[in-house]
Amino acid sequence: MTDLNKQGYVTNIQRYTIHDGPGIRTEVFLKGCPLNCKWCSNPECIRPAPEVGVYPDRCIGLDKCGFCLSACPAGEISALKTENNRVMAINRGSCTACLSCAKACPANALITWGKLYTVQEVVDAVLEDVPFYNKSGGGVTLSGGDPLIQWEFSLAILKECKEHGIHTCLETEHHISPGILNIVYPSVDLVITDIKHMDPQKHRVYTGVDNKLILHNIAETAKKEMPLVIRIPVIPGHNDSRENIEATARFIVGSLKNRVLQVQLLPYRQLGIEKYRSLGIPYGMEDFQPPEREIWEKNILSLAELLKTYGIPAVAGSSSRPSG
Amino acid sequence: MTLQSARKEKPVGITPFDREWPVSDGHMGKNTSPFPRVNRFINRVLEGEFTVDHQRASLVTEAYQKYEREPQVIKCALALANVLDNVEISITEDELIAGEMAAPMKAAPIFPEHSFSWVMDEMKNHPWHKRLHDRYYISKHSAKKLREIESFWKGKSIDEVVISEMNEDELKGTNIGRGFYLLNLYMYGGIGHLQANYEKLFARGFYGLREEVLEKLESLDKHEDPAGAKENFYRAELITIEAAIRYFQRYAALAVKIAEKEKTPLRKQELNIIADNCRWVSTNPPRTFFEALQLLYLATTIILIETNGHSVSIGRFDQFMEPFYRRDIESGEATKEDIQELIELYFIKHLWWTKLRDRLTVIANSGRGMGGDSITLGGVDREGNDATTDLTFMCLDAIAHTRSGVPWVAVRWHEQTPWELKVKTANVIRIGTGQPKVFNDQAAIPASLRAGRTLEDSRNYHVVGCVEIDSGGKEYGWHDAAYFNIAKILELAINDGRCIGCGEHCDRWENCGEMGKRLGPQTGKLAEFSSFDRVLEAYDRQMEYWVDLMIRGIEIMDRVHQRLKPLPYLSTLIDDCTEKGIDVSAGGARYNFTGPQAVGVGTTADGMAAIKQLIFEEKKVTAEGLLNALENNWVGDEPLYALVNSDKIHHYGNDDDYADELAKFATDTYCRHVENRPNCRGGKYLPGVYSVSANTALGLTQWASADGRVALEPVSDCLGPVHTWAGSHDTKGPSAIAKSVTKLDHIRAANGTLLNWKFSPSCVTGETGRDNLIALIDVYFDRRGMHSQFNIVSRETLENAIKNPEEYRYLLVRVAGYSAFFVELSKPLQYDIMGRTELSFD
Repeated sequence: MTDLNKQGYVTNIQRYTIHDGPGIRTEVFLKGCPLNCKWCSNPECIRPAPEVGVYPDRCIGLDKCGFCLSACPAGEISALKTENNRVMAINRGSCTACLSCAKACPANALITWGKLYTVQEVVDAVLEDVPFYNKSGGGVTLSGGDPLIQWEFSLAILKECKEHGIHTCLETEHHISPGILNIVYPSVDLVITDIKHMDPQKHRVYTGVDNKLILHNIAETAKKEMPLVIRIPVIPGHNDSRENIEATARFIVGSLKNRVLQVQLLPYRQLGIEKYRSLGIPYGMEDFQPPEREIWEKNILSLAELLKTYGIPAVAGSSSRPSG
Repeated sequence: MTLQSARKEKPVGITPFDREWPVSDGHMGKNTSPFPRVNRFINRVLEGEFTVDHQRASLVTEAYQKYEREPQVIKCALALANVLDNVEISITEDELIAGEMAAPMKAAPIFPEHSFSWVMDEMKNHPWHKRLHDRYYISKHSAKKLREIESFWKGKSIDEVVISEMNEDELKGTNIGRGFYLLNLYMYGGIGHLQANYEKLFARGFYGLREEVLEKLESLDKHEDPAGAKENFYRAELITIEAAIRYFQRYAALAVKIAEKEKTPLRKQELNIIADNCRWVSTNPPRTFFEALQLLYLATTIILIETNGHSVSIGRFDQFMEPFYRRDIESGEATKEDIQELIELYFIKHLWWTKLRDRLTVIANSGRGMGGDSITLGGVDREGNDATTDLTFMCLDAIAHTRSGVPWVAVRWHEQTPWELKVKTANVIRIGTGQPKVFNDQAAIPASLRAGRTLEDSRNYHVVGCVEIDSGGKEYGWHDAAYFNIAKILELAINDGRCIGCGEHCDRWENCGEMGKRLGPQTGKLAEFSSFDRVLEAYDRQMEYWVDLMIRGIEIMDRVHQRLKPLPYLSTLIDDCTEKGIDVSAGGARYNFTGPQAVGVGTTADGMAAIKQLIFEEKKVTAEGLLNALENNWVGDEPLYALVNSDKIHHYGNDDDYADELAKFATDTYCRHVENRPNCRGGKYLPGVYSVSANTALGLTQWASADGRVALEPVSDCLGPVHTWAGSHDTKGPSAIAKSVTKLDHIRAANGTLLNWKFSPSCVTGETGRDNLIALIDVYFDRRGMHSQFNIVSRETLENAIKNPEEYRYLLVRVAGYSAFFVELSKPLQYDIMGRTELSFD
């Protein structure tokens, strides 16, 4: 029996997502990630524990409100840093992440990233959109972070969704013990994973970990004939060289025997900056100047063409349907 | 009966059903038609300025003076005849379908019978060419001619008579008073909102219509018509039919005259065809698609000249034109391409019609088109079978090719709508002109049955104007009778019948607040309500009081229209008028409804939710605290303002039963008080729930509200969730909106409902984007949502368009019910559209 009362940390349950798996989907973002990619666009999902995000622009003024200061149990030596009548940041050292300030804030200037959900609560939310899944061939996608950081919680969600006949998709980084994959996969209909770089050294520099375990797990996934979509986040100047893409192609054709539904080349977008600031995490790409749209679009298209010369079902972007 | 049920091959247009056009490219005038003539025609129509023309006004006045002693119906007929016989007419280059609205292309005729004092006031004091948007020019000559007739119309126009017949109570809530329900459309203009019986006209021709009237006249029993009302009515009908015949023949003669001088052989030949078409259909039933189109266009134009109504709709074009299309293709009379080109030229001819609206109306109803000239495609036939034809696809292709915003096109979907038609619909929607809108037979047909129409007529419904369901050719539905702000009802309910923000700034201060009076009945103070249910009871009592007054006002207007402005020409084209010998304005039609709409569903629901949650449950705020905050327009209560606008409060549009049930209560209460009330034409009232763009005008008369609106901000649009200047109240995306909105009873809102969607281009791109859009509509419709329309445009594009209007001159957006050039909209409307939650899922 699935333990429906099991709890886990969820940052967001987003309904009607359309890019992570087929059809119209509900995407559950779970907290915690084994990687720390320089370009991550969901930094609120990296740390495993709940935390408060600060959006000073939304603060309506401490003189008019100040509810957060009163709520902070640290009292006089408040964990909230203020400036010009606004709450600006959190002194993470003295903050116990009790979340009182975010609960008190009327303006969403302080928000909670990571709320405790039971499996039942997540599944109930997923069930809300069943008619949309049925019409569109959609379902649920677990994402994050990496949902396998909380793998028991994730597994319970996936199992329960399967019980309800919902198509399940798992987005994972695959930096995890292979044994866990064996346990989880029977409840998964589609796996989405990234290959961020083929060079182990560079992979470590950009993501904080080696790629050996990841590639091993992806190869195992293909061997099990799991439906698999591979994504390459194309980060200009980082992993977009023809050498790296060709190395990826050789891996897919060689180690995976090209057993992939689709390989998606995704453009880099500077999406996460606001979130990094809100969390007080330095953003590794802050000074990065993305090239003009025409240039990166052309580049991605040509890399997709390159992959196709290996017979790989590659596409630019995530909005075409796999032909398989 | 239908041709489709017997056919084997699938209907198809001139392009493949899955032909894709670039997403979010809703610009007109970019030579998007495959037909060079169509592109030239579009560019020519775009070039000229809009003007105001005096001819119709002068000719009507002349007839009213000359025939002063005639019975009103005869006088009106002679006035129409005087216009049709004497107005200047023209045929321009590239035109194949002739006709004008008693004024040149893009010139607005004037209707002094309906209202004239505002026309003179604006001409003198607020020149139309100095408007910020909806600009018109007028020649010195036309201005002089209008001034000449000013004194004649003093006290005679419908608006002046209506206002003089309404008492203080009947006026105080209207656009003349506090302005929270708007009667202005029918107070100042004609009724419109109808469709002529084109099937009958095509079957009999004008001679046939004349025969019918003559028979009735000859067999008239004088004992049953002692006052001669029927006889006068029939004589008036005959006058107008004959005038219409002469109007067609004037165009035939003009075409011959131009052809004689024309040097290009091809154009000479075309002009002779125009002449032949006009001459033939002036009396006879049309034989070809081309002839039918000529008859359709000019016969409709004459309705516009007579009635001054907008939303004079075309109806099910792909049904009643189908026999002509099929015959032409089978006989080799025309190719599919010929027909396609004609459809596109016909579409553009809708741009020739324009309507001058007063300066207050244009704040809310920007756009200079005639408005509401709707075509309905697809759906089921009278027997309930799929009615899709080649013309269904061809009309959708014509939208993609012309991108002009006209005519307003609605596609009906039902359970058996072919996938190909859904794909074509989605692909045209994705271009982003806001066209077409999509209607749900699964909701509209039950709603129509509930209104009392027969099953056959309900299946054969078409869409009138923006939103309204109508059984074409046999109905006079007064579909746009009023816009009623239910958010104001909540305000009066929590403030003991007094306006929040009552003070000297109000026009009514001297007769109301200063005298210690209040606008509405005393229904109790929020602070003294023992539970939230008392709030709902007060809301119900206020609603009853104000709906009663609104209906009294509408009934006064209806009677004045009947007395002063009978419509004998239109009566020949609406079933049962001739049969019964009763003018369409006086109840001659088979179906007679009156449709006033509720506005501000989201604003009301979120206001109720905030009150229930904060005052009665969490007790975080006191009643006095909230009312003070509202009186002070939130100044000094910023945390409360932020809180009610945050996701910590239950909000409508998030699939949250707490707020959604309040939305349902708010609209059901309105519907309950409106539905089934009798009107003075022998019919009954049908409630609608939509705002079109009246939510901006209604917002301008209301002070701050409990949902987190500041004073004068628009109330929520149509069925959409609230978006205030502090942000959108819906945060859960389109599936949650679809579910919230379909918790309301659309079938009960039998005059129509509307949900506006706004998508960023990226989320509908590609085949998956297309199919997800179709799936969304399908689910909305399975849940009995009635009607959806779409904007496919990014906020960035709209911001750029505001900054650099010249680069976006012809960018079309969906307002509500209609599309218009974004840069020509009023500022409040531009910001309202921009503020609608953009659904983007990156």
